[in-house]
Formats: sequence, structure tokens, C-alpha cells
Amino acid sequence: MKTTEIRKLVSPSTFTQRIDRPTSRGDKPPLLALDGLVKRYGRTIAVDNLSLNLQEGEVFGFLGPNGAGKTSTIRMLCGLARSNAGSGTVLGFDIWNERFEIRSRLGYVPQQFSLYSDLTLLENLWFFASLYGVSMRWADYRIRTLLAQLDLFPYRQVRAGHLSGGFKQLLAIGCAILHKPALLVLDEPTSGLDPCNRQTIWNLLYQLSQEGTTIFVTTHYMDEADRCTKVGLLYSGKLLAIGSPAQLKECLVNHVLDFEVDPLIAAQASMRDLPGVFGTRLRGGKIRLLARDPRNLVAELRKHWPFPALAWHAYEFGVPDMDDVFEAYRCGILVAELESKEV
Amino acid sequence: MKFLAGTRAFIAVALKELLHLWRDRRILMLIIFLPPVFTLLLGHAFEQGPLRNVPAILVDQDRSAASRKFSTLLRSSEVFNLRPLTVGTENHIELSANNLAASIIIPRGWEKGLHDGEPIPLELVLDGADGNTAPEIQGAVQAILEEYQSKALESMIDSLPEEVFDLGRHLPVSVRKDFSSSMSPWAVKTSILYNPDLKFIHFVMPGIVGLILQLFTVTLTACSISRERETGTLTQLQVTPIHKSAIIIGKVLPYLGIALCVEAMLFFLGQQHFHVAYRNPLLLFGLSFVFLLSTSGLGALVSSFSRTQTQAIQYSVFFLLPVFLLSGAFAPLSQLPLGVRIFSYVFPLTYFCHACREINLYGGGTTRVIWDLLLLSLGALLTCSIAAYRLRAVEV
Repeated sequence: MKTTEIRKLVSPSTFTQRIDRPTSRGDKPPLLALDGLVKRYGRTIAVDNLSLNLQEGEVFGFLGPNGAGKTSTIRMLCGLARSNAGSGTVLGFDIWNERFEIRSRLGYVPQQFSLYSDLTLLENLWFFASLYGVSMRWADYRIRTLLAQLDLFPYRQVRAGHLSGGFKQLLAIGCAILHKPALLVLDEPTSGLDPCNRQTIWNLLYQLSQEGTTIFVTTHYMDEADRCTKVGLLYSGKLLAIGSPAQLKECLVNHVLDFEVDPLIAAQASMRDLPGVFGTRLRGGKIRLLARDPRNLVAELRKHWPFPALAWHAYEFGVPDMDDVFEAYRCGILVAELESKEV
Repeated sequence: MKFLAGTRAFIAVALKELLHLWRDRRILMLIIFLPPVFTLLLGHAFEQGPLRNVPAILVDQDRSAASRKFSTLLRSSEVFNLRPLTVGTENHIELSANNLAASIIIPRGWEKGLHDGEPIPLELVLDGADGNTAPEIQGAVQAILEEYQSKALESMIDSLPEEVFDLGRHLPVSVRKDFSSSMSPWAVKTSILYNPDLKFIHFVMPGIVGLILQLFTVTLTACSISRERETGTLTQLQVTPIHKSAIIIGKVLPYLGIALCVEAMLFFLGQQHFHVAYRNPLLLFGLSFVFLLSTSGLGALVSSFSRTQTQAIQYSVFFLLPVFLLSGAFAPLSQLPLGVRIFSYVFPLTYFCHACREINLYGGGTTRVIWDLLLLSLGALLTCSIAAYRLRAVEV
């Protein structure tokens, strides 16, 4: 039974595993609905048949390694690029044909800092307020409150280029939420920031979420995924799984083993090749194993310990985290590829 | 309401562009100070004075009274700066080694030939590297020789014996009249219209002003758009509800405004310093407006093909280089071969120069320049709309 479950878990995404239960607001139309989106650049497929629904007020974490297709998806979402197939709606508007309708209801914070470095904070904010058509009086109030909220008020006359990385990111978010968008899309907002700044930004995102803004955020920090209400795993353009962090981790509860072995580095490399093991990594001074059938594996190892150079001290079942989830899906693809070759 | 929002958006883009300029003072200084300096330099460079002080050598092999008389004339004309030889011998003169433009040789037996009724030609050796000056020098020598000849003729007539006049009185009147007519130099009475002083500056002023303004508008507009693409701010603009055309208009307008002010300044300079007259300021303004709109549009178009500022500059240079020769800014278009002239009509400057001369030199009204105005407007419309369309097409 376990095997079939993990098979389902690790099989390549001919289907996307949906663990999300219908929410209490299930009868409401989704704020964001993507259906079978495909984006190709020449021969490479950046986004492959991606479907996704988001309800209002959700904080959606879009996870995936570099080049998985996160930014391509976002570009389609914002109407910057046209999908080769599939369709999508934001607030009921088509993401391509009605992109101008969407743009006044959407905020976008791109991966790289994209404000005017030679303009001051106030000038940047006023400029984007004008572009979003925020009325003069309301913009004045909105900019004041935003500056206070983001703790940027003392720097309002400073040129944006002179700000530190964290403040730049806060300003970028500030410019994107001036018009109170229903959906805020952030492309790796915390990459390259220190933990303190990351915390500030996440606090801001939660606050926005409480005010009713739906957040769509990409990251490849797995600890940040834990902060989302919903997580999607993207790998090579395919959405492998979608669900709340707890739901995703639940699937792995009985597949994670922590071994106390000496020496650690050698063990990590050797134990990766054990049959039925998807991956190993170092975690908290132990070797964490992702295994198809851990109980059976432990029994086998008790019978015969194949590594004379390694000293095995203890083991325990671990509590899976988002790294494990991501690893399981990543390895799942590798396993599937091996299997297909054998056939 | 939607229109109002659009207007506000492009005004915001335009104001932001001015703010960028204000922050980048060096560029602002260049825009304000370089055009007048260029205009003064180029304006004086194209001033064509009479031929003077041509370094030359006079070799008098004849050493006769006639040759001395001719050399005195040559010296008094101030066309030539006669120098002695520094290198080589008089039998074999190296022009370039002696830094000479011409050598004038009065051959042995020149005076004798004149008196014997078999005049020997003067020998003139010219440096033909610069194809313009050589014919001018030749003309100057020819003119001095003609002057010498007419003087010789006068003195000959004065010194004729009475018998000749007696003999002449026996000739029929018509023959005598023909004779006296052929003895006096025949003249052309010239009246010069449109540019009576024959000052080249009047012709070349629109070329100078247009060239400078074209340079500024094309490169500045191209850079301002490709800079946004380079820094990623263009993406940020594109996710706002602002329309692509509003971005282009907002980008083009500030540079157009600045260029118009600079143009007014340059024309004022031309009037005060070079005494160039402007006949129809209103029409000139309209012409400048569409001209600068089309060059700014070209800048926007160039930027739509370039991902970085560096590329934008490179493309602009490639485009601006042929304009110098092909637009007819500094030489009449009619001097170009037909096959080459076809390409002239690609450049806005061609129309601007033509129309500007029509207005200022020929005093033409709207009807004379209507085609230039229309084609420039069409060019502005085309370049701006293609640039707006392509703004999306180039992805980072």
C-alpha cells in the first residue's frame, strides 16, 4: 500500500496531484484560474500544461529551482507574454485578451530591482501612482501611510539607488501595492536578503493578505514555503503538486528517516545508493533519508550493514519539512526516468 | 475618463524623463552648450572666402621684360604666397616636399613667342589631391594672364603708328565695328537672386542646425527607452495599465520640447552671428515640429531594436553616418548621382533642409513645402507607431 502511495507521489506529472480540499469559500469563483498553460521558447518548454486555482486571500508559494518556469508563468499571468496554449483568468478577466483590465488590479514585483535609481522614493511612488491612475488626493494619503507602514518615511527624499537591498525591495512592493491590487505577484522577493529583512517582508505580506490581497510569491527558500497557505511545486515547467504545506508534508510522514552515522559526509554519499532510497541529505548533524519503505529498509540494514567504514549509532523517524517534500518530488522524476529506461 | 487617465500617464512619463535629465546634469549641460558651439564651429568652417595666400613658386626661365611684368602682376594679386625653393632644383620641383600647392613656370622664349605671334603657354603644375582647389588656382592664374593680356592690348593700341589708323579709315564701317567689338572684352551682366552675397552659410545653416538636432533627438530618445529596458523598469511600466503608445509619447515629447528650444536658440545665434534671415517663423516652427517628431520617432524605433543602451548608441551611429553626405545638408542634393539620391529620401533631414531653404532662401509659403511637411508627418507617425508596436515584441 505504501509503495503505491509513494508511486503516486513520485510519478512524473502526467497528472498533478491535488491534495487541496475544497475550501469553505469553494462556491466563490476563484480569483486566479489557470488552465493548461503552455509556454515554449523555441524548442524548450518553459511551462508545461500548468493548471492552478487560487481563492481570494490565499498566500500562494510557487516553489521550484532556477529555470523551472516560475518567471515564465508570472510573465503570462501579468500579460507580458502570451501562452502558446491554455487559458487563464484573474478576477474573471482573460490573462491575455483582457490584460489591461487585469493590470489595474494587479501588482507585480519583479525579480530584479526595477525602479528608478536616480529618483527619490517619493518621486518613484508618485510616478507609479500616476501610472495606476490613483487620484491625486488619495495618492497623497496612500503614499504617506505606505511610507509609514514600510518604515521608509525618513528616507522619502533619498534616491532609490542609495537604499540598501531590503529597503529597495520594500519600496518595490510599496510601488506595486499603491493601487490596492487584488492580486500581488512577487518574483523571489527575498532572494539575496538577510533573515531580518526576509522577516520584515513576510510580515508585510501577511498584513496585505489580512487586508484581503491575494499573494502569489515565488521562492526557492523552502522555509518560506512553510509560511504560505498553499504551495505549488514546479519542476521543469511541470506543476508536480499543489496543497497546503501541512498536507504536502503529511504524505511523507512515514518516509523520512534520520540516521546517526559517522563520518557524516561519507555516509551521505554511500547511503544514497541504497535500494529504495530517493535521497539523502545532512540535517541537524544527522543523515536524513527519503525512503520508499523505511521500516523494511531498517530491517534490511539491521540484518546486514553494508558499510564497514561507517559507524551506525541510532535512527529515528523524522518529521518531514518542505525540503523533504521538494526532494521527494525532484527524486521522483529521477526514479521515473530510470524506470522508463528499464522498460 | 479613460482618455484623461491616459493623458495623466503620459504626462507622468514625460515629467519623469525631465527629472532624469535634471538629475543627470552632465547630459543637460551637453544639450545646452554643445549645439551653439557646434553651430559656430561648423558655420565658420563653411565660410568660403576668396582664394588667398596659395603657397606657390614662380620660376622665371625667360628673364625678360614681359616675364617681369607678369610676375609683378602675380605678386600684386595676393592670390599667391610666392616662396623660394627649399628642396630640389628648379628643373625638377617636388610640390609636396616644398609644401607648395602650385608651381608657375614662365618658359624660356616666352616674350619672344608673344612678339613673334606664336605665344608659348605658361606652365602650371598643380597639386590635384584636393580636387576643389586645383581648378580654382588654375582659374586665378588664367585671370591674371587675361589681365596681363588686356593691359598688353591697351598699350599695343596706344603705341600703334598713325598709318594703321589711316589704313583703318579706308575699311568699311561694318568691318571696323566688328573689329573694335572683338578687341574689347565681352562681358556677362549677372544678377544673383535669393542669396545675392553668395554666402554659403545661408545655404548650409539648416543643414548644421538639423544635423545637430537630429543627433541629439535620435540618440537621447533611443537611449532613454533602451535604458529602461536594460534596467528592467520597462517591464515595470508594462504591468501598469498605461498603454504602450502613451509610453512612447511620454518619452518622445520632452526631448522634442528641448530640441525645439535648442533649435530656436541656434536660429537666433545664426541670425545674430551669421546674419541669416528667417522669413516665415510660424511655418518654420511647424516644419521643425514635424522634423523633430520624426527624428525622435526614429530614436524610439532604434531603441526597439536594441536591448541595451550600448546597442542603441551603436545603431544610431550607423544610421547617422550616411546622413552627413546623403541628406544634402552641406551640398546640393542635385550633385548626387540619381542612384544614391534615392536613399536620401529615407532621412528626415533631407526634407527639413529642402523645406528650410524653400522658406528662408526662396521665401516660399506653405504650398512650396507641403510635401515635405506631409512626408515628415507620415515618417513621425510611422516610426512612433512601429516603435510602440515593437515595445512589447522585444522581450528581455
